[in-house]
Amino acid sequence: MKEIIRPAVVLLVITAVAAALLGAVESITEGPIAIANENAQNEALRTAMPDAASFTDVDAELTGTISLIKEALDANGEPIGYVIVANPSGFGGAVPTTVGFDMNGVITGVSIQTPSETPGLGARATEPEFMDQFTGMTGTLAVTKDGGQVQAITAATITSRAVVSGINEAYTWFTENGGAN
Amino acid sequence: MGNPIKIIKNGILDENPTFRQVIGMCPTLATTTSAINGIGMGLSTAAVLICSNVAIAALRKFIPDKVRIPAFVVVIASFVTIVQFLLQAYLPSLNDALGLYIPLIVVNCIILGRAEAFASKNSAIDSLFDGVGNGLGFTIALTVIGLVREFIGSGTLFGITVLPDFFPKTLMFIMSPGAFLTLGVLMAILNYVTSKKSA
Repeated sequence: MKEIIRPAVVLLVITAVAAALLGAVESITEGPIAIANENAQNEALRTAMPDAASFTDVDAELTGTISLIKEALDANGEPIGYVIVANPSGFGGAVPTTVGFDMNGVITGVSIQTPSETPGLGARATEPEFMDQFTGMTGTLAVTKDGGQVQAITAATITSRAVVSGINEAYTWFTENGGAN
Repeated sequence: MGNPIKIIKNGILDENPTFRQVIGMCPTLATTTSAINGIGMGLSTAAVLICSNVAIAALRKFIPDKVRIPAFVVVIASFVTIVQFLLQAYLPSLNDALGLYIPLIVVNCIILGRAEAFASKNSAIDSLFDGVGNGLGFTIALTVIGLVREFIGSGTLFGITVLPDFFPKTLMFIMSPGAFLTLGVLMAILNYVTSKKSA
């Protein structure tokens, strides 16, 4: 009997101490993690809509892979466009794509994150050379290989197509909900 | 108590986890697409390894043999989670780059391997040095592999372009096959050099 109780008690003590320790670390890092996430999101919003002074939440149903919709306001509080985050599937996983549209549906900027794309290939979607080409485009986009106007990343067509499909998804939401005015 | 320098040197050279023990291959092959990723993965693993080695050595007389593996795994998993919290909070860009590999440190056989082979039989201080040695050995190995793959595959070193644009880059080296080729060639070179030395 003793052979069973002692190991069980020891294991219980170890797991209890570990759980307490994790709880303590979690409560310490909770704040900084939230701030880091918020900074990352704000940076993406600003890249997508450089002219906006502030962003407000939009009361809209999130459809498909869209995870966030914000209305962009200028310094006077007048709406100047929308910023939409879509999460199309790339080569390794979701590719969070933040895209800004002005009131005419013209892209004001794109910010891309590639948490699971191949470094040096799909992950190059985050380079300005690729991201900045979208600014000024409008309508439904496609990569040049598919007869469109978007220059895909060399050897990373899947990631490029994913970004384009994310932008198109955002554009569809925009035309259905915000583009009318 | 053993000689600290000898224990550390043992981990870096004679029993290098990557080139000699050939353990922990999954993160080695998967994360070394660039030198900076190699360093980040190596140092994160080293931090966990040092902490878990010391904790396990300190607890080695308290942990009954029968439950030692679950006890080790709990200790290791706790340190990994702590490292992940800290990276998310204070180094978000590194956390983005290493993403899903951080939780995988839990099942990295270097850490459980050193716990079984060294920390469970030696004092906490010796285990600390063993963790430092093996952690550094792993970090150096991953950085070297990362440097080679980044140079051949992307023409950069630590993100700085060193090869002119017209120079052809072998994309395969930042994909999986390049990882195997680089590891194999480096291992062969190391074996050749050490066999010369001992002969």
